[in-house]
Amino acid sequence: MSKLEQHTGTRLTRRALIAGAGGAALAAPVLAQELGRMIDLGLPGGPSLRPLTPAFPGKGEMIVQRIRPPLLETPMEVFSQGTITPNDRMFVRWNWDMPTAVNAAEHRVAVGGAVKQPVSLTLDDIAAAGEHVEVVAINQCAGNGRGLSNPRVTGTQWGNGAMGCAKWTGVRLKDVLAKAGVAGGATRVRFAGLDVPLTDGAPQFIKSIPLDIAMRDDVLVAWAMNGEALPLMHGFPLRIVVPGWFSTYWVKMLSTIEVLTGADDSYYVAKSYRIPAAPITPDDKDFPTVEITTMPPRAFITSHADGAAVALGKPLVLEGIGMGGDAALERVDLVGDGWAIPCELGPDEGPYAFRRWQVTLPQVAGNLEKIGVRAANVTGAVQPDALNWNPSGYARNVIERITLVAQ
Amino acid sequence: MLLALLLAGCESQPQVTFADASITPPDDPIELPEGPGRDAVLENCTACHSPSTMLQQPRVSREKWESIANKMIEVYKAPVDEAAIPAIADYMVAVQARGEPQQPN
Repeated sequence: MSKLEQHTGTRLTRRALIAGAGGAALAAPVLAQELGRMIDLGLPGGPSLRPLTPAFPGKGEMIVQRIRPPLLETPMEVFSQGTITPNDRMFVRWNWDMPTAVNAAEHRVAVGGAVKQPVSLTLDDIAAAGEHVEVVAINQCAGNGRGLSNPRVTGTQWGNGAMGCAKWTGVRLKDVLAKAGVAGGATRVRFAGLDVPLTDGAPQFIKSIPLDIAMRDDVLVAWAMNGEALPLMHGFPLRIVVPGWFSTYWVKMLSTIEVLTGADDSYYVAKSYRIPAAPITPDDKDFPTVEITTMPPRAFITSHADGAAVALGKPLVLEGIGMGGDAALERVDLVGDGWAIPCELGPDEGPYAFRRWQVTLPQVAGNLEKIGVRAANVTGAVQPDALNWNPSGYARNVIERITLVAQ
Repeated sequence: MLLALLLAGCESQPQVTFADASITPPDDPIELPEGPGRDAVLENCTACHSPSTMLQQPRVSREKWESIANKMIEVYKAPVDEAAIPAIADYMVAVQARGEPQQPN
């Protein structure tokens, strides 16, 4: 009997067996016993405290947004340690419960829809489909930073830790598509994974990208993350990687690839994960929307937290990370009230990777009020001073401000 | 579940070996503060997701809670009893009015 059935007393028809739903009850330690440490995400108006725990399999200390299905956020301190986010600290996000066991030999990826010959591929078939490619790319939730929206909006109340940067290894999606052959009239390529709804009739989490994006040389069907097999919570055995695009398209536990000939009218493309077509105010009700796609530039100070003390009269070194989004980072500036100081950029690990920045202030003359860092990418996109508010809290990239106290 | 990367003699691509993967997720204690309507929430909401999904939301109106519960029925086909929605909304409004949950000891 599934957990859903236990709680509701209703026997529900399931589209597929969710191995995890029953297994959760067998887990030994009650998470609550381990929730001794809390972290304050600084969400305006609260609730702002979240548990920090290493209790999830394969994970280090993570911020718990939700136990089931898991939503785990990366503490910001992790981003001070380098440009690559270790697998055990990468954020976790599932829309629906995922299976807790996957048999590699039995796993298949069906490639169908508008193709010349539908195929069912084993993992070995996928690995042999083409050249093995490595891409360093940021994986960021479309709702990263939603909890910081003001006015607040409902949804997963992430701080800014629903992001991470990893080296992904796999084959090109276009090489996998070639195993079936894309037919004429193809418009989009849609992905589905092993995560399916608990309830009959609910929308499966399926997502599609335009064909020209699918055919890019750096769009992958990946099996490795930072040189290790994809951890189950990150989509074992395969996930889609679309560098520069929000992670909603990076479908995990990939099991179906479907070539479409028209628009995608499925729920998570046509109804959800959409942003206003033009800027709106919180009072606007009816407005056209477009699907969220590419990431804008962002930057963060990682050397100091909001409210940290700095030494009066001494030099101050500030450090952090920046990203260009869907194009390479061009510059990062430290900004305050009416001033901007260029930061020095660290090694370039590719256009879709985090990049370190550093700046030295010769002497701290007083409190540094509401300072931030402003990233710009090579296409001219630059972080705005004011939040592009939207009712789903998507694509936050307002300049993040902190105050440092001189003493 | 380490990935074995072995270079095969006459092939241009490294061989990738896929091993089975499984995890045991932590238990979900389903911790909900006491209050009128708590049973309605337990019966209708926490089968599909942990309580934190609701408890961590910003303070919103009773109407918003009702619309969220209705969305669970209409979009996500959740087996929520429509008659329980007022009690669910009452509970969430009351819990939110209490403010930030205290850190467990």
